[in-house]
Amino acid sequence: MTQQRDWNALSDEEFRRIAAEFFETHVPKHLKFLSRRPRWAEVSEWYMTMSRHGWLCPAWPQEWGGMGLSQSKALVYMEELERSGAPRVMDQGLMNIGPLLIAHGNEEQRRRFLPKIISGEHLWCQGYSEPNAGSDLASLRTEARLEGDEFVINGQKIWTSVAFDATHMFALVRTDKTVKKQAGISFLLIDMQQPGITVRPIRNIAGHEELCEVFLDNVRTPRANLVGELNAGWTIAKALLGFERIWSGSPRQSTLALLRLESLARASGKIDDPAFVDKYTQVAMDVLDSASAYERFAQIMRTGGSFGVEVSMLKIWATETCQRVTELMVEAAGDLGTLLGEVDVNGEPIDILYPFLDCRAFTIYGGSSQVQRNILAKLVLDLPA
Amino acid sequence: MAISPEEAAEQINMLRESAADFVRRGADMKGLRERRGQLPGYDAAMLRHIVELGWFGILVPEQQGGLGLGFAEMSVVLQELGKGLMAEPVLPALFAGRVIQHASNEALKERLLPALADGSALPAVGWQEGLGGLDARAIEARAQPAASGVVLSGRKRFVAGAAGAAGFVVSANAPDGYGVYWVDAKAPGLSVQYEWRADETPSGVLELKEVPVPSRDVLGPGGPRGLAPLERALDEAAVLASAEMLGVMEAALQLALGYMRTRVQFGKPIGSFQALQHKAVDLYVQQELTRAVLDDAVRELDADVGPQERPKVASRCKARASDAGMRIGREVIQLHGAIGYTDEYDAGLYLKRAMVLSGWLGNATAHRRRFAELTRGAVTV
Repeated sequence: MTQQRDWNALSDEEFRRIAAEFFETHVPKHLKFLSRRPRWAEVSEWYMTMSRHGWLCPAWPQEWGGMGLSQSKALVYMEELERSGAPRVMDQGLMNIGPLLIAHGNEEQRRRFLPKIISGEHLWCQGYSEPNAGSDLASLRTEARLEGDEFVINGQKIWTSVAFDATHMFALVRTDKTVKKQAGISFLLIDMQQPGITVRPIRNIAGHEELCEVFLDNVRTPRANLVGELNAGWTIAKALLGFERIWSGSPRQSTLALLRLESLARASGKIDDPAFVDKYTQVAMDVLDSASAYERFAQIMRTGGSFGVEVSMLKIWATETCQRVTELMVEAAGDLGTLLGEVDVNGEPIDILYPFLDCRAFTIYGGSSQVQRNILAKLVLDLPA
Repeated sequence: MAISPEEAAEQINMLRESAADFVRRGADMKGLRERRGQLPGYDAAMLRHIVELGWFGILVPEQQGGLGLGFAEMSVVLQELGKGLMAEPVLPALFAGRVIQHASNEALKERLLPALADGSALPAVGWQEGLGGLDARAIEARAQPAASGVVLSGRKRFVAGAAGAAGFVVSANAPDGYGVYWVDAKAPGLSVQYEWRADETPSGVLELKEVPVPSRDVLGPGGPRGLAPLERALDEAAVLASAEMLGVMEAALQLALGYMRTRVQFGKPIGSFQALQHKAVDLYVQQELTRAVLDDAVRELDADVGPQERPKVASRCKARASDAGMRIGREVIQLHGAIGYTDEYDAGLYLKRAMVLSGWLGNATAHRRRFAELTRGAVTV
């Protein structure tokens, strides 16, 4: 059933062609380029289509049902997935906890959890941030106490994406309060379908409910669900896949925003206003330069090279550029820029405010722009603490 | 002979290393200060060293005595020279060499390009007039047909590398369209005066009063496409100037970072303050963007992408480099505080070189405008 192929034997170009064709053929038309994150019920069919064809888990080894893609091929996969307009599925299992269990879990955990991610039975969410542990994540306080063979967990997680559709959560919890904050954190797998779990969606400024608060009140998980050693959770959580670090700085979102800005400029006639064209050209060139910088790192990855935290300059520039594009869109829209939802611009329906509001989050999640700057200052520019 | 990408990368690394070594040993800020306001605006002894290293010949074809290498090689040498503020005599001559190479006069190439490669006669370009600007066609100089060749009259301004040049590539209006001509520095009717740039290097003003140009010195005759060699060379030189600018900004930022690590105020190194750290990171981001676009531009020039794409990538490159260089030059002064404002400290030297490079061959605004005209609002990403 699952097609086993040595994808890495193909050239990147050849694989790109095959990936583009796969997504073109299989992504359901009505779900392409949604301007919101769909619920599981809407996208489960697409998820299962990928699963059936063996295309669900690009970076997993083939023995676990993945495609076994190299970092560079996984990047091509992501680029083509994005280009196809495919909707975002419940992807914490396949993108995050799956690879993490393959790297840091034990054999029993892999056997128990990986197949259920592929079958869509287990849908994961990520329980990292807390109300008082955002940029300073290591100060998290949700506590897990060992009682016999079980951890008993109490506390609160926040900014958990799509927790309402998740069956499981992987979480960082405090297991030792007497040591340096990073040294007392453990990594636990938690079944969400039990008493004591309360999920409350949080409406964001774009009017969508994707983020959640998750309350944990005497929630239980077996000791077998501890990933890695006790109190070793911080190190495990910090290890990211190579392609994820570059992916968060890809120009895809700013490119999409620029295309929307172009549509607005044409439909509204702003394209003939020299004052607008000046500003437009500036942001357009910022987007192109973002793509150049991304390609530079992608090329290093393709040729088997490696890079360090300097790659986080990509995320700073890509996300802040995306924001500037959407700011210009609202400004260029003038009076239309005050209207919610799709508005009629000389016969063309364009949502002006959504991109602006949506991309406020980009410079916050995954390490805020300011945290990225702190990291670059210390580790790349070698500035003192 | 074709070489593998790994071998090519290795060659470029070796070239970079030897240029970096040359700059480490030869950078001389004291000498640079002493030469300010003096002709020819560079150190003749250093120029001879550069000639011996063969760098003037990197882009010159092998049959004309050069190394026949590409922009990737030229770019790394200029980056390193830029770090030591040592690129001034090289760039303007390279620019002229590119016009000569793209022009159609083969005999003249055989005469001029070997002399560029061996440093015996450096050329410069007179292409702008009046208030300057990026439009190579905005000129009034005339090329009048004469018995054997043409006679040139006009005034050329903003001529980099004019002092010490053996001759000039000069653009002019001929009856059939724009043409490009070679004018020997000693030609009758030619006089050169100087204006002084921000870094106190000379900028030539050529006065051409009925300067006779024999037929053999017509680089490209007047015609509808007569400026094509110049326009192509302008794009290439803009990319090479961006390479030098990258070196200048790297050296300037390193200077500031070193200072931030050691300068103590309020009982701490000032580099520990987040406001300054974030400012420094923003400069680093600009530097890395410049490097990325420069990589793209160099690759496209070496692949000879043609007259549709070449000016676009050249404008992207020069716009980013000009903006980033100016910003880093300015902010590096601020990061130093008062010491950065003094003439005896090097920060000002980098700022002034950045100012010259930023404006030369079109500043960021000029290149953004040109990019907008070339793409007409349809930026396909």
